[in-house]
Amino acid sequence: MSQIKMIIDGKEIIADENQTILEAALANKIYIPHLCYHENLNHSGGCRLCVVEQEGVGGVVTSCSTKVAEGMVIHTKSDLAEKVRKLSVDLMFKTHPSECTGCPKYGKCQLMSISQYIGDTGRSLRDLKIRIGADESNPLIHHEMYRCILCGRCVRACDEMRGVGALKYDKVNGRLQVVVNGSSLSEAGCRFCGACVEVCPTGSIRDKVGVIKEGVSREKALVPCIDGCPANINIPKYVRYLREGKYTEAAATVREKAPFPEALGYICTHDCELACRRNHINGAVSIRNIKRYAASQDDGSWKVHSFQKPETGKKAAVVGAGPAGLTAAYYLSKLGHEVVVFEKLPQAGGQMAYGIPSYRLPREVIQKEVAEVTSGRVKVEYNSPVTSAKDLLEQGYDAVFVAIGTHEGLRLPLEGNDLKGVYINTEFLREINLGNHPEIGERVVVLGGGNVAVDCAGSALRLGAKEVHMVCLEAEDSMRASEEEVAWTKEEGIQIHNSKNFERIVGEDGKVAGFEMTSVKSFYFDETGKAVLDKVPDSLETIDADTIIFAIGQRPAVTEEFGLKLGRGNRIEVDEKTTQTSIPGIFAAGDAVTGTASVIKAIAAARKAVSQMDIYLGGDGYIEEQLASVQEPEGRIGNWKHYAELERTEPNVASAESRCHNFDLMDFGFDADKAHCEADRCLQCDLRARIAPQRFWNDYIPTESKEVQNG
Amino acid sequence: MKKLETQVAVIAAGPSGLAAAVQAAEDGAKVMVFEKSNVVGGAANMGMGPLGIGTRQQQQQMVDISVEKAFKMFMDYTHWRVDANLVRKYFGNSADTIAWLEDMGLEFAGAYKYFPKSEATWHIVAVNGGIGRNGGAIMNKTLMERAKELGVEFFMETPAKKILKDKDGKICGLIAVDKSGEEIEVSAKAVVVACGGAGDNPEMIKQRTGYTWREDLFSFAIPGLKGDGINMAAEVGAATTEMSMEMMYILPNSDFGPDCIPATFMQPNLLVNNFGKRFMNEEEMQNTTFTGNAIAIQRGKIAYSIIDTSILKGYKRNGLDVTNFVHHPENIDDFEQVVEDSIANNNPDVVKADTLEELAEKLGINVDTFVETVEEYNEMCESYDEVFFKDRRFMKPIKKGPFYAGTFRPGAYGTLGGIKINENAEVLDNEWKPVPGLYAAGTDTCTIYGDSYMFLLPGNTMGYCLNTGRFAGEGAAAYAQD
Repeated sequence: MSQIKMIIDGKEIIADENQTILEAALANKIYIPHLCYHENLNHSGGCRLCVVEQEGVGGVVTSCSTKVAEGMVIHTKSDLAEKVRKLSVDLMFKTHPSECTGCPKYGKCQLMSISQYIGDTGRSLRDLKIRIGADESNPLIHHEMYRCILCGRCVRACDEMRGVGALKYDKVNGRLQVVVNGSSLSEAGCRFCGACVEVCPTGSIRDKVGVIKEGVSREKALVPCIDGCPANINIPKYVRYLREGKYTEAAATVREKAPFPEALGYICTHDCELACRRNHINGAVSIRNIKRYAASQDDGSWKVHSFQKPETGKKAAVVGAGPAGLTAAYYLSKLGHEVVVFEKLPQAGGQMAYGIPSYRLPREVIQKEVAEVTSGRVKVEYNSPVTSAKDLLEQGYDAVFVAIGTHEGLRLPLEGNDLKGVYINTEFLREINLGNHPEIGERVVVLGGGNVAVDCAGSALRLGAKEVHMVCLEAEDSMRASEEEVAWTKEEGIQIHNSKNFERIVGEDGKVAGFEMTSVKSFYFDETGKAVLDKVPDSLETIDADTIIFAIGQRPAVTEEFGLKLGRGNRIEVDEKTTQTSIPGIFAAGDAVTGTASVIKAIAAARKAVSQMDIYLGGDGYIEEQLASVQEPEGRIGNWKHYAELERTEPNVASAESRCHNFDLMDFGFDADKAHCEADRCLQCDLRARIAPQRFWNDYIPTESKEVQNG
Repeated sequence: MKKLETQVAVIAAGPSGLAAAVQAAEDGAKVMVFEKSNVVGGAANMGMGPLGIGTRQQQQQMVDISVEKAFKMFMDYTHWRVDANLVRKYFGNSADTIAWLEDMGLEFAGAYKYFPKSEATWHIVAVNGGIGRNGGAIMNKTLMERAKELGVEFFMETPAKKILKDKDGKICGLIAVDKSGEEIEVSAKAVVVACGGAGDNPEMIKQRTGYTWREDLFSFAIPGLKGDGINMAAEVGAATTEMSMEMMYILPNSDFGPDCIPATFMQPNLLVNNFGKRFMNEEEMQNTTFTGNAIAIQRGKIAYSIIDTSILKGYKRNGLDVTNFVHHPENIDDFEQVVEDSIANNNPDVVKADTLEELAEKLGINVDTFVETVEEYNEMCESYDEVFFKDRRFMKPIKKGPFYAGTFRPGAYGTLGGIKINENAEVLDNEWKPVPGLYAAGTDTCTIYGDSYMFLLPGNTMGYCLNTGRFAGEGAAAYAQD
């Protein structure tokens, strides 16, 4: 590659011999208007906006398709070039609306910006508008042909960048248009990658309203699953690795951001799936099950890439061996600190081991991953409750991380709440997981409608209850438990009573005999958190019952004696930025800070806290690592007829009859075939984020940015 | 967090912000501009030019308008319910602002009226030497280039999120977010808010004006106008003003389509309300504000403009009765074709029927009343409009089918007002004392029209933006360098 010297508008510049005049000019912050040109597409020279005069050559040349040469002299603003350019813009406005009003692309439109730069008249040529309405038949993409200027970038992107070819030019009623190459986009083999939207300079092809999140960075908006994941795991990357059969690479990609990939594969609340763009087509990609399969195939070869800093001589204590505590211990140890974890219970895992039933998450998976995480310089002291976090500092620990979770279930002040046969969610589930099967009656009523309530109901059934009911205030469509879990619960014959207020627990001889409830039309919570109800008159109902389980929420099992400032719901108060508690050197994260949330949120919060702790301990707080190889995704994803119709793959699940009398695993996830099928459904939104963002004339005016410093 | 330091920070790069930036930089201040979009100019890129009073152009064109005359007209129109000092200062400075723009290299095509009854205060920016579209965009480009020359730094796709105030209650900077989502802390002595209102924030429109967007108000939702400036200023103690819509009327689904439709239906023919009755002198339809007001007080906030085939033929042969700068098609030869297309595309704006009865039924209005109105109207076409005194020239009977109706609704360019300022563009708190270091300009502050846009002096909104922008820039530069 050699360099040449040339002159553009009187300024001598040095360019690479393979560059075009346009590329050389732009690289030197000399703006030449251009529209059909796009960094990631082949030159077409069609729009004629980038014309320039070249000394020694008659007429004008298109700068996007003319290579530079030694000694070349270019005039970008010659009269002839300007004249051609103006005519080109006028021609574009023959078909494009002459007014911008009503266009959602306003303010981000390249045509608008070009017309501002060139100063078109738009009126000297006869209007020849294309009079067809918007095409809204596509779930993700909105097409308005009447805003099109036929620059062809969408057609070329679909073909050149993606190898899909779902778009083409065609004459319709004598007018050239961009049309779908088939009877529908699905028929045309569209992969819904969004490249056409990304390159469209006008408002002609746009994301449908609501598909792209506003007010966040381009990367976050374009790849919603990563943004949706609390730990920002690179989901498209590991889904792609799985598709390529590189399972370890896939698991390693997860592990870069979260140390329990397989457990997450079983029980993650999968916020990524809620954000998945395929929801707008025919259901989210089953990301969690893909992760589970990949993690189950992990051979551990990523370990050679895992960082381990030299010993710092600093000692950190972690209180609680749940997901947050173990995540913190894992990274603190990798950062070179000595770590001791204090766990009140005989096993590690926190709610993963003592809350979530074994039929949803096998104990071996937890044990395997806990062993992995604690394999470094991490010491776990079991059966070791900590009564005061402050004492740990006095005992010589340089920093303390508190992640005690929410292990104290709530009991409502309801008549009969202390009768024999009344249980609390946390205690009930903990007892089962400790192997002490609690005594359960034949007719069980679980109060609550969240995931924990579902676990209590399912466990009660498996312990031998003949009839299990769930009662909750929320209506069916607004229950806090996930849809999938509610469906499974119903399959198992558990009866759910929605929109009910708890009236009282009926007692007989000091024992539970029944439960009274009334129907509620609507409710809301006032500022103090109290429920304000609109009850249906005369709707009192009674369920005969001998066991009641409160599953209406839980809070940290902690008192003032622990030494930390507590806030609402007994939660530990921390500084949002530093995650430090009221005592310097003591940090906290996870459910104990946020209230009962999820494993992935606890992991994400613990990672943030670890960074802060490391800085506190004199480190740089950097915990990012690259465990999987760098991925160069293939942009040419190819045409796939009826790709839009690929249905979401459902996991293999044990039948209701076979699963509801034992604690054996019920959801078997995916086998290799299913995992690959599902991974194929991924729209690969990350490809779009790799397309060069659109630029405007005002981006090329040189600025000397001064006094920019990193604080 | 990234940190920047400047003397004056300007929020948004529309004409108000650009004028403030240029003025402040000319006065010697170090200036940074934070803009949400990729393109400079904001809503004004769709406009054609600002108001000027007593300009060189007006002298040359022998236009009879003075600051005194305009001021009196304006205060009569607004019943003195607006800040007279601010109006006086704005008008008084407007000629200098036109000259200021010319000194930057901007050319004007001249001073124009918007419609026959208005004054020639509209200074249309020359596009390729003549009158073209979107001269405002070119003006904004000129302002940005001038600002760059003066060393102003621009941060595109970097919206401000919060204005910062120190413990003494003085403004000390702002927080912006760059395109990667990273926050930038900008320390600044003075901040100018110029965010262009809340036209793209249906919730705020509902809250502050009572209108429900796309139900009874079909305003332009110009992307990005979320009311950020109004909210940020209020957070640091700015007093709020009433907000109103910059009212007009519109065929909601046809305004950006082929011009023959809106232009034809805006002709001064028969306009009826939901009862099938006339409610205004249709001559006033060229005044989009007055007509928008009149439609907004009809039942269902709706009105129908009716023409027949004879009127259509006449327009095709002789041209339209009235045109303006926005709607002036070369001809309306394709009217019927566009109507057919619109109907085929289920566009509810346009209705066609062979008889008057059928037309009324399709429009859902009382058939008898409507037919009566048309009969009465047709009779008056032979004598004179004894109801609303419309000019005889525009009295054309509605007799020959097929008949056409266009469905007009209240529209608006955007919101007006929100932040209380004085004539120096200083932002005032609830005790009407300036918030030290805070300035605001343009649409976020524009309450000088009272209840209705002053259409008789066209170019007003852009003129107000540029001039208050300059006041803000001047004040901010002086304060920051004090």
